[in-house]
Amino acid sequence: MQVEDGRDTETLQMEMLLDALPKGSATDPASLALARLITNISNKKVPVSSFSRIWTLGSLQARVSAGYFAYWLRSRFSDAENKQRLKSEAHLAAALKLFGTMGYMRGAVMKVGQLLANLPEVVPEEFAEVLSALHFEAPPMHFAMVREVFLDEFGREPEELFASFDRQAFAAASLGQVHRARLHSGEEVAVKIQYPGIAHTIKADLRNLRLLLQPLCLTIDWQDTLAKLADIERMLLMETDYGQEAAYNRKARLVFNDADRIAVPLVHDQYSTRRVLTTEYLHGCHINDFLATDPGQGERDHFTRLLTVATYRLYYRLHWLPADPHPGNFIFMADGRLGMIDFGCTLTLSDEEWVFSNEAIQAALDKDLQGLNRAIARACRFDDPGDMEPDRLEVIRQGFYWFMEPWQQEGIFDFGDRAFFLRGIDNVIEATRKGYTRSLPMTLWSNRFTFGGRAFCYKLKGRCEFRKIFKQEAAGAAAKLT
Amino acid sequence: MRISEQAKQENRSRILDKAAEIFNSKGFEDSTTRDIALAAGLAAGTLFNYFPSKETLAMTMVSEALVQGREDYLRRCTGREELAEELFLFVASGLRRLRPLRPFLGPVLERSLSPFPRKNVCQEGETARQEHLAAVQSILARHGFTEAPDYVAMTMYWSLYLGILAFWSNDTSPNQEASQALIDYSIRMFVQLISGSGADKGEADAS
Repeated sequence: MQVEDGRDTETLQMEMLLDALPKGSATDPASLALARLITNISNKKVPVSSFSRIWTLGSLQARVSAGYFAYWLRSRFSDAENKQRLKSEAHLAAALKLFGTMGYMRGAVMKVGQLLANLPEVVPEEFAEVLSALHFEAPPMHFAMVREVFLDEFGREPEELFASFDRQAFAAASLGQVHRARLHSGEEVAVKIQYPGIAHTIKADLRNLRLLLQPLCLTIDWQDTLAKLADIERMLLMETDYGQEAAYNRKARLVFNDADRIAVPLVHDQYSTRRVLTTEYLHGCHINDFLATDPGQGERDHFTRLLTVATYRLYYRLHWLPADPHPGNFIFMADGRLGMIDFGCTLTLSDEEWVFSNEAIQAALDKDLQGLNRAIARACRFDDPGDMEPDRLEVIRQGFYWFMEPWQQEGIFDFGDRAFFLRGIDNVIEATRKGYTRSLPMTLWSNRFTFGGRAFCYKLKGRCEFRKIFKQEAAGAAAKLT
Repeated sequence: MRISEQAKQENRSRILDKAAEIFNSKGFEDSTTRDIALAAGLAAGTLFNYFPSKETLAMTMVSEALVQGREDYLRRCTGREELAEELFLFVASGLRRLRPLRPFLGPVLERSLSPFPRKNVCQEGETARQEHLAAVQSILARHGFTEAPDYVAMTMYWSLYLGILAFWSNDTSPNQEASQALIDYSIRMFVQLISGSGADKGEADAS
């Protein structure tokens, strides 16, 4: 009986998966073979199946993500001869299986799957929700494991090092978790602890994924995929170095003053290492709890302004893209300040990237169409706009116009405007569906930065004088330089 | 010549110290009992009055480290740990005490703790195994497993533990952090096994 029930569920899930997967390939019009492949992989039992937060293509959402991934890969060898196809199919299955066990991407992959399953009727709320999940996770640690990390890092137990230390983590963080503690001096602190060996796992997974994908793609876009995978690995590994994050944190503190109303917590060096980061604890709440208090428009606008100032101060003054849009990284403090925590995923633009980034913005502000087209071509890794298909150029340009809307509007800009946010989503979906994804690796992070920030402000239903702020911040940075 | 009990203890302890130094510098395989006896200022034959073989000597160090590890675990245990956490604490405390011996531990453990049938069973190794498993059983009992797990479960535990030891003795990651993840996963797997909960392929967490 149980077996039959199991089979029924499986059939049902298969149907749902078929429903959600993309259609239209000449070789597999109903995506049936693809759905079978994914279901087959996901139903295989693996020994790690029950560990919390390690998923193995278990949920429908995760399968849909994998399905799109596989569909995209398959489209690259649809004309190949049969022998090559079979070989590629085996690699594809292995790559999907590996992808499905990369637990630190689990949250992100499931959320993307959820979004893809609802295409094309994606609502802005859903999109905002997905963006907030695009970060990397680690398995939760029990306290005994935390204690071992402390003994290795400090030679002492947490209770010896701190006056008090909470056994339970209060938040998940990039590749680790955060515990509350109190220093002997009485200050409250947040202690971020990294899951042991996660960097090693990430390196091994990405190396294997690249090897498995290698025979599948021989096109020019393959180089693009490799470059992006390399950049993802670089950023992931950067997130594993809490020493570097502490350095970012310290620099960020220096660019804000009391009048800015932006708080960056103090790093306690004595209690920090590459695997443990101890900072001042900022009292306040995250966006959902803030919204639950039914704040007035004034408060929403206030925090939208602070978020804009905070991120563009870092952009103009330090040439940074805070590329982790996770809402947990922003704290609504009771005294009206905005707290910014977690600088693990911060991209510092090279001088070349910085000049290029501003040239594109300036061309759009100056309504210099030729200059803008040149910048777009470069961002999409073409030598000249003339080398791009006209439709590709048009779609990407529309996306950039959308990005520039707040920059060009005098006075208040309403980030809570549903129609505005929806236009941005539609553009991303169109570009993805048409396969216009080839781009410089930095665009991965600039898009995450832009969409993350806008999704946050959309959720907040906040407004601010964006154009005035960006001009002030650009002028402030220029004044600092002279 | 008869020597006092105190002198015996001093000799024993000196032999162990010198053996650790020599094993660490030359490796277990290339060290001889003669080297050790010389370093300890004893005649080669005298050493055998204390330790019948090189294996026993090395395994005595392992046993003593594991006893200290058990004491550490008992001291560190708060009584609030869940089963997987307590087992982790127990295993990790032992490994921490074994850490100074790590450079030469691989061949020692392979010879003395191997589960394969062999001619000469190392008594020290067998005692260490029994004590370790007794400690595991008492942890399980404290967490409500009223009947001792059968030999299948305990054999599986021992296989996992030996796997951890093998991986750990060869682990080049900083502070053997890769081993910590392995201990975590292995123990969760064992707890899952003896708890008898069904495999869910992650759906429960995924929802």
